[in-house]
Amino acid sequence: MNVDGVVLGIETSCDETAVGIVRGRKLLANVISSSVDEHAKFGGVVPEIASRAHLEAMPAIISTALDDAGLTLADVDAVAVTAGPGLIGALLVGVSSASALSVALNKPLYGVNHLSAHIAVDCLGTTGPLRPSIGLLVSGGHSSILQINDITTDVHTLGQTMDDAAGEAFDKIARILNLGFPGGPAIDREAKLGSGAAIAFPRALMQGDDLVEHPFDFSFSGLKTAVSRYLQATPDFIRADVAASFQEAVVDVLLRKAIRACQESGIDSLVIAGGVAANSRLREEAVLRCHRAGIELRTPEIGLCTDNGAMVAALGSLALSAGIAPSLTGLSASSSPGIERIIWQ
Amino acid sequence: MSISLVIDTSTQRTAVAIIQDGRMIVELHHDDALAHGEILPRLVEKVLMESSHVDQVIVGMGPGPFTGLRVGIAFAQSFALARNIPWLGVCSLDGIVPAVEPDSTGEYLVATDARRKEIFWARYKNGLRMCEPHVGAPQTLKLLKLPAFGEGAQKYKFSSNSDLLYPQPALLEKVSVDGPLYTTPIYVRRPDAFSAPVGVSFRAMNYADLVSVFDIEIKTYLDDPWSMAQLKEELAGKNRWYFVAESENQVVGYVGALHAGGITDVLTLTVRLDYQRKGIGRELLRRLIDWARVQKAEAIMLEMREGNSQAQPLYVDFGFVELTKRDNYYGPGITAIIMRKDLA
Ligand SMILES: [Zn+2]
Repeated sequence: MNVDGVVLGIETSCDETAVGIVRGRKLLANVISSSVDEHAKFGGVVPEIASRAHLEAMPAIISTALDDAGLTLADVDAVAVTAGPGLIGALLVGVSSASALSVALNKPLYGVNHLSAHIAVDCLGTTGPLRPSIGLLVSGGHSSILQINDITTDVHTLGQTMDDAAGEAFDKIARILNLGFPGGPAIDREAKLGSGAAIAFPRALMQGDDLVEHPFDFSFSGLKTAVSRYLQATPDFIRADVAASFQEAVVDVLLRKAIRACQESGIDSLVIAGGVAANSRLREEAVLRCHRAGIELRTPEIGLCTDNGAMVAALGSLALSAGIAPSLTGLSASSSPGIERIIWQ
Repeated sequence: MSISLVIDTSTQRTAVAIIQDGRMIVELHHDDALAHGEILPRLVEKVLMESSHVDQVIVGMGPGPFTGLRVGIAFAQSFALARNIPWLGVCSLDGIVPAVEPDSTGEYLVATDARRKEIFWARYKNGLRMCEPHVGAPQTLKLLKLPAFGEGAQKYKFSSNSDLLYPQPALLEKVSVDGPLYTTPIYVRRPDAFSAPVGVSFRAMNYADLVSVFDIEIKTYLDDPWSMAQLKEELAGKNRWYFVAESENQVVGYVGALHAGGITDVLTLTVRLDYQRKGIGRELLRRLIDWARVQKAEAIMLEMREGNSQAQPLYVDFGFVELTKRDNYYGPGITAIIMRKDLA
């Protein structure tokens, strides 16, 4: 058991090549290189471009992170890496690099689950035992509600999106409204100039049988259709009002379901992570509603909400300090592992 | 005294070895095209038991299927970083060279499996590689009738020796001393995603385009442009296909082809001088290949002047292979190169 070990974490599940370093629960470095500009030309993440970019960036990103932390690889006690879910070719570059560090340095390797890592990053900077919590994970790649009883051993999914991820919905609506890419920040900005109550866009899976069958699932495709229909039917629409009302509908559904998950599970702590956690309206409304419901709200700082290496290092560090056995040499990356697979064995 | 860790994942084989000053200490391999990621760390861990000290890492940089290839390179560069030692990249095909010259010409091919009914290959003479590695259809390489080695030649049944299928760590180590080195992966087959030229549209050629096309002809082929009459005749001709690239309402490039007897011939592929190197030729050629497939062509052939340094790499990228040369084809002293791409 090593509660103050130095853990280097590598993340390459999508288009970010990222390395983070922690000592115990203290963040020492968090370096990210993104190939997002290259993907923008194609209007989405191209797996082949992502994998090529990871390979090119990896050694420099590792070295920069070590420099930032003021350490050398000799100081590293364990290596952690995202082993899934993600794009398989992209994951493999990270897993292979991490395996090489582990074999070359003769240090333990932890293959970790990307979704759990998003939640684990919240432990950085804290002390004392970690409480069970509900995780609302919202980004361009995921929209899930997780129940975290123990971050290294017991996590399960309560609900997830049935179609688009929340971040994708933002991107699509931003495109329709001609607000540019990436859509999240663009809509956030535009919405500040309009009224979220101007247009009553639908809230999916919030009523009747839908709610009973899918209490914690999301669906954003109907909302997207409703917005385009509204634009077609309303030639003199006010763009800021559309952006604000769309955003309001998304925020409302996300928070109602997340808070309901807290109430039904009896867990009074909510962690919101993922790129959409940067949305100012979501943060503002979450503070209000959690306060009203008597729930402790935790939102990691924005740089730690989007995909990064620190979250991988954080989960690896929690596993190391919990005395969990490291992954076997030659661990398999997996594009869609179950959420219960937190640390690869 | 120098100890090398040698790694190659460019084929279905994951090969690992420790070599000390040219002497093999230990060599391990495992054949599984889908498991390089799992196998490589385990094999390296095992060979390190024979010698945990390593002075340098030597890695096959391909060509090879991308996912497996990157596993080896990512491992090599991170291992080198961790041990603070150098890594050297070599061409994986150079590791499949016969010990004895296979025939009197000293020429032979090395080919590995590129999947999608294609092979990665290079041509060698007297033990030296004559060109950068290419990707192409096996049928085309068979036409060269040269001795051939490697899993690619084996798979498509034109192999001369079924024992020489995969890159040999010992040979890769040797190449790292006296052969060409590579610092970036040898992808050869360009990543599938390639951005289309911005602001350029593509459509069929019509008579209204001929004035601009003729203007480009005379500026590009100073001594030998097509005449206006020839252009008209071509555009009206049977089994022909002409397509233009347009930017800001001007024709900036065009491609023409003739399909007959199961073969599509490239008649012209021309891009206006001030619009070259923007990916327009690539896009025109891609569309031509699509058209040839629709015609159910078994192959695409073309003739080009030797020394057309702009066009040849483009054709090679798309899997065209130089078949023969014809001297004085375009006039005294001007040699024509005949290239062919088989459509699987
Ligand atoms: Zn993520």
